[in-house]
Amino acid sequence: MKPLVSYVITRALMFVLSIWGAFTLAFFFFHLIPGDPVSAYLQQLEQQFSQTVDAADAAAMAAEMKARLGIDGSLPEQYWRFLGNVFIRFDLGPSFINFPKPALEHILEKLPWTLWLLGTSTIISWILGFVVGGIIGTFRNNFASQFLINFSLVISQIPSYFTALFALFLFGYWFVLLPTKGAYDPGIEKDLFNPRFLLSVARYAIMPAMAVVMVGVAGTLISTRSLVTTILGDDYLQFAHAKGLRRSHILMRYVLRNAMLPQITGLALSLGFVLNGFYLVEIIFNYPGMGSLFLSAIRLLDYNLILGIVLMSITVVLAATFIIDLFLPLIDPRIKLND
Amino acid sequence: MFVVDAWKRSGYFRVGSIMLAVLLAIAVLQPWLSQLALQNPDVSPMSMGTFEPYADPSLRHPAGTDKLGRDMLALLFLGIRVSMLIALIAGCTATGIGISLGFIAGYKGGWVDAVLRTGTDMVLVIPSLPLLIALAAYLPTISIPVMSLLLAAFAWPFTTRIIRSQVLTLKQRPFVDLARTSDQGDMSIIFLEIMPNLLPFLGVSVAVGMSSAMLAEIGLQLIGLGPASINTLGLMVQQSVQSGVLAIGKWWILFAPVSCLIAFFVALNLINIGLESAFNPRLRSVTGD
Repeated sequence: MKPLVSYVITRALMFVLSIWGAFTLAFFFFHLIPGDPVSAYLQQLEQQFSQTVDAADAAAMAAEMKARLGIDGSLPEQYWRFLGNVFIRFDLGPSFINFPKPALEHILEKLPWTLWLLGTSTIISWILGFVVGGIIGTFRNNFASQFLINFSLVISQIPSYFTALFALFLFGYWFVLLPTKGAYDPGIEKDLFNPRFLLSVARYAIMPAMAVVMVGVAGTLISTRSLVTTILGDDYLQFAHAKGLRRSHILMRYVLRNAMLPQITGLALSLGFVLNGFYLVEIIFNYPGMGSLFLSAIRLLDYNLILGIVLMSITVVLAATFIIDLFLPLIDPRIKLND
Repeated sequence: MFVVDAWKRSGYFRVGSIMLAVLLAIAVLQPWLSQLALQNPDVSPMSMGTFEPYADPSLRHPAGTDKLGRDMLALLFLGIRVSMLIALIAGCTATGIGISLGFIAGYKGGWVDAVLRTGTDMVLVIPSLPLLIALAAYLPTISIPVMSLLLAAFAWPFTTRIIRSQVLTLKQRPFVDLARTSDQGDMSIIFLEIMPNLLPFLGVSVAVGMSSAMLAEIGLQLIGLGPASINTLGLMVQQSVQSGVLAIGKWWILFAPVSCLIAFFVALNLINIGLESAFNPRLRSVTGD
């Protein structure tokens, strides 16, 4: 039991250290960007309500706002304070958007949309890619398999926002089948138990999801196929053939099962990167997820919100790798713990 | 030479390099091609109101004109040139950084390796697009070299990883041991013994660096936070999305730059696959050769 305990402890330590390291890099990076968001915000308020505030009052207001946002004092001071707030009290501080609404609330409002859209499409594309990749890896020498693998090789590196643009053109404007903007029909009451609302949510997700799935499938398909090809050369499969087992049986029981393990790692990683990768698809479809939120945060240089979103993506990615590291040795006896 | 080998061995490489060569030729010949398209040496492809806006494709304007009355074909040539230039500078810079760090980490090993690897992984974990957006939004002016270096700053971790893992396996090989026992210095081992074996991987990492720079550049432009003064293909995509050309049925204005970019990505990807399958026998099964 001992090596397992020390393995888990080192991994956990590495996990925490990496989060802290990446967070620190991001913190100083964003704070070194020149800009004075508070004055810009106050000026915008003045214009909005056509009021003029005299210089002394404005300075006092700015100081008060900075204090509430936690961006007063020297940079190291801000850093330690922010670190303490985030990691001990899970408090990101207020955001500029609807000041003083907490940044965390903004994130929690948008997170479900991103998770629903991108999580679902990542899983769908993984399943599709895995099954089709397994099949064309087993039956390699026919036209359809050759065509599929070459097609996937060609499209696998095309960014998903291009497929998004094509989908938008084809189904949104040419055939006018699907809605082009937003996440649900604004005319329908927003209620999770209203079947019409859920239907419209699904309908609005089809196009952006399709864009992500198309490219995602290609990647999984290529790697599954190459895994299956290697597995097919192994001795135990020759034995299975010699026993006279049916090909479909061999495919399900021997090939796909063994290809599953590395591919599950891949799935976990791509789920981890869900928050990183698809800002642009969301922005193209005006989807109210983390991508659009981040964009507005950047425009206002809203430090608390920006860092909150970045921290969230960092944590999710690292958590995915951490979980893989923890569970792989339990599932796969070939992995030795002292590696 | 590894390029010739790859050409002989892989059909993917042949198709990819022909596509890239065509794009490169357009980029190099752009000044001349653009005059041909504009039929007026005094007009720049960027200057507005030269022609009637939103003209349909015709003999005079094979790709039509855009909202600002610019000839799309001439603009496209310019876009290919600028995007190619940015991608090349960024790809080569990223590869340069990647080679240096990858070599140091892989060759030195020990704590140096541990530090460099952790650092690289951390940079990989931080979402790069947000950082780029932030940088671009708050830099006062962005020229082509600045833009390229910015993009390179986020494209190097991948190269570092490829080079490091290759150096790790290569330095275990007998010929490196032989060189070491015959008292060759580190530098001479690195450049004379290990580096020649890495040339195909350098090809791969330049290609990957170029496409990830391109990817980031388009990302930046699509959001509308990229520099509007540099006419990249990404900017052309953004401008046509912005002016809603799909909604008014002028889809070719959007699809001209998009198809060029897709051609670019596909070319680089095919070159990658070709190089990998020609020089990495373990990956040969990927393409089923």
